[in-house]
This record gives sequence, C-alpha cells and structure tokens, in this order.
Amino acid sequence: MYFFVVMGFSTSINAQDLLSTLEKEYPDTPQYEIATFKASRLSVGHSIETRKKGILEIQAFNRYWNIPNYRGQSFIVDKLSARIALEYGISDRLTFGAGGSTLDGIFDGFLKYKLLRQRSNGKGSPISMTLFQNGSYRSKRNRPFVDVNRFDEFGDKLAFTSQLLFARKFTPQFSAQITPTYIHRSSSAFAEDPNNQFAIGIGGRYKLGGHASIVSEYYYVINPLKSINSYDAFSLGVNWELSDVMLQFQLTNTRAMVEDAFITQTPNNFNFKDGNFVFGFNAIFVLHLNQKQL
Amino acid sequence: MNKIIVLLVLLIHLTDFETTSDQFITRQGQISFFSYTSVENIEARNNQVLSIIDISKSEIAVSMLMNAFVFKKSLMHEHFNESYIESDLYPKATFEGNIIDFDPLALGIQTKIIKGKLTIRGITKDIEIKTTIENNNGSYLLTGDFEVAVQDFDIKIPPILAPNIAKIISITFRFEYQTYEK
Repeated sequence: MYFFVVMGFSTSINAQDLLSTLEKEYPDTPQYEIATFKASRLSVGHSIETRKKGILEIQAFNRYWNIPNYRGQSFIVDKLSARIALEYGISDRLTFGAGGSTLDGIFDGFLKYKLLRQRSNGKGSPISMTLFQNGSYRSKRNRPFVDVNRFDEFGDKLAFTSQLLFARKFTPQFSAQITPTYIHRSSSAFAEDPNNQFAIGIGGRYKLGGHASIVSEYYYVINPLKSINSYDAFSLGVNWELSDVMLQFQLTNTRAMVEDAFITQTPNNFNFKDGNFVFGFNAIFVLHLNQKQL
Repeated sequence: MNKIIVLLVLLIHLTDFETTSDQFITRQGQISFFSYTSVENIEARNNQVLSIIDISKSEIAVSMLMNAFVFKKSLMHEHFNESYIESDLYPKATFEGNIIDFDPLALGIQTKIIKGKLTIRGITKDIEIKTTIENNNGSYLLTGDFEVAVQDFDIKIPPILAPNIAKIISITFRFEYQTYEK
C-alpha cells in the first residue's frame, strides 16, 4: 500500500509539464513599472517621468486665448504664447531641461531626478518619486502681475521652484500623482506678498487604448499673493503619442508654462469666457542620440 | 518487509534522477524579432529566454518576459510594452510543443519540425517551426527562424502607423541547452 502511494507521488512529479518547470526558473530580478505617464509633463505641470539616457526632446508648448471685447481682427485667436525648450536625459534617472517663453519672456532651466521607482511585482516601493528643481528668470513685466516682484537688479527677477513628485500606477490605465510644491521669489514689490509660497498639485491620467489618454491636473496654492487676485491652475486634456511624436492638448486657465508663473500667478479662473479660456497644445519630438547596441 | 520498502523507495528515487537528466535547460536563450518596412526597420532582442527540452519525450517549452526585449531606441521599448503587447496584462509569451522524429542520440546536426502552441497576449495559436538541432555530446543547440502575423495575436496598430510596422514579423532563436539539475 505504502509502495503505491510513494510511486503515485513520484510519477505525479514527473508528469508535471515543462512550462511550469520553467515558471520556477525565472530569476528574482526586480521589475519596475514603466510609463506611469508618457511625457515629461502630465498636462501643464511636470510628471514623475524622466527621459531615458541619450534622449533629446525638442518641445514647443503653445497657449492660445482671446482678449475679451477685443476690437481687432485677429485670425482664430487674439493671443499666443509659446515656450520653446530642450530636454535631455543625462542618465535614465536624471533629466536636464531649459527653455524660453515668448510672450512673458521667462527663461527657465531645471533638473529632475527619479529617486524611487515603483516595483510591479508586489515587493519594493509601491510608488515612484521624483525630485524637481528649477530656476527661472523673468526678463519683463507681465500683465496683470507687473508689480509682483521688483525689476531693479538681476537677482530680483529670479524665482525657484522645488517639487517632490509622488505617483503610482494603480492599473495599466490609471495613474495618479500628488505634487507638494515650494516656490521662492527672490523679490517682492509689496511687503504683503509672500516670497515663499506653497502649493499642492494633484493629477491623474486614464488611458484610452494604446496611444491616447485623458489627463487632468489641479494646483492648490496654500498662501496665494495678497496684492492681486490669483487663481488655482487647472487643466483638462488629452495626450496622444505616435512613434517619435507626442502631442498634448489642454483646456486650461493657465497661460504661462513655467512652474512659478502658472502655479502662483494665474490671473483668471477656469471657465469658457473670452480671456479666461486658454487652449494649450504641446508638441514634443523625441530624438535618440545614443542608440543601444543589440 | 520494511527493508524492501526502503529499497523500493530508493530505487524509485534513483529512477527519478535518471528521468530528470533527460531534461536540458537554457536560461540565456536568445530570441530576436525584425519588422522590415520601407519606412522603418524595427529590431529587438531578448537574451533571457528560458527554455527546456525533455529528450525522452521529445518535448520543448519556452517562456520569456516581454519587457526583457531590448530595442535600439528606448522609446520603442516603451511603446512595445505599453501600446502593443500590453505587458502589464500579458507579461509573458510561451511556447510548448513536440519535436517530430527527434533522435536525441544522433550526434551532429539534424533538421526537424517542432509542432506546438505559441501564446502571446493570452492568445494561443498552433504553429510549426523548422529547427536545426546540434547535438554536442551532452548539450544541445537549437536554432531556427519562423514568422508570425501581427493580426493573429490581436495587436492593434493605429492606421497612421500601419506603414511603419510589418504585417509579418520574422523571429529568430538560438537556444544552447545544458543538463537540467533541480
């Protein structure tokens, strides 16, 4: 009797199929989530994504809006602002970027470092985390924020934004991000305006099929400017990527494209009135400067 | 009586050992795929393919992680996994089949057909693959190539990118097997 039990047991081991044998042979190497978001911007603000090593992105961010009761005869829209920028992946985790905006004359540069990567096979970090630091130079006074900072010396026109970006890919379709933000302006024209401002950004994306996703983003400013009314930045958009091109469309209330300007200095609320409604369009072209050897 | 049982158990375990030595494994198998079109050539390679053969039963199994494919452009890797293969949902591709008329004892090169089932994105298709088997006295080398149609595995390609991706993808493989010890 015992003999048959033993024999039955051992043959059942042998009958085990080859695929399940292979299943046990997989090495226990960490698997990381890829593409929590696709582009380096979620919609208007930065996402946790950094560029891979050797990737150069050529970016043209555009914002279009109308001026209320404008008597001119402009074609389609009254106003256009564009930020032309380059982003380069120094390593898979570290990205450098710099750009200039046309209408508001803000020049900016930033570094972004991916500190934590979300693991996909249960163990390890449940979230991804990226550090972001930029510096911007405001070359001219912009309406309606002409008197927010002083324009006497070079140092007066600088602002710095630090962000901690936390994101999690919950399902293959849905990712969410929360972004505590600290913004420092070097100078204030009015003593009542805070030089150090804090904000929290929240955003998410939902993928529709393989190439498009809906995104939304909102930045809540904890201590807004006192001397002038400002509103929180909001954006609702569609991201679309094809081959080496990524396109991001936004319905938003922000006109500026640099963090310190659009987070704390958005002059209007989000609605569809002329002057408040802004249509945004980011075009990103990806170049692979060093390709992997196969 | 007890002694006989012990002896029998020992014997069974010994025979067990013999059957396992019929199995040969590779942990660094190579699979490459190519998509040639007039617009763009896409090429990727996976060097961490697992495969096992059982020479007594002429059976073969292959399993690999789709995200282990390396592309020349890192963006292609992202698109491959995110937009086409959906490796979040279907992380692995597998194959199991039989080598027809396989003679494990014949040294040197023999060309055989493998009949089996290929599973990509949870979709299983019957497939026949011609392979060259090289028996180097205790280790086996299997090489070959075959083609799969993108359509068979329900991989969606947007019309605007249809000229960039071939309808038929050619695949080459190279597996060097060593004796499998558990």
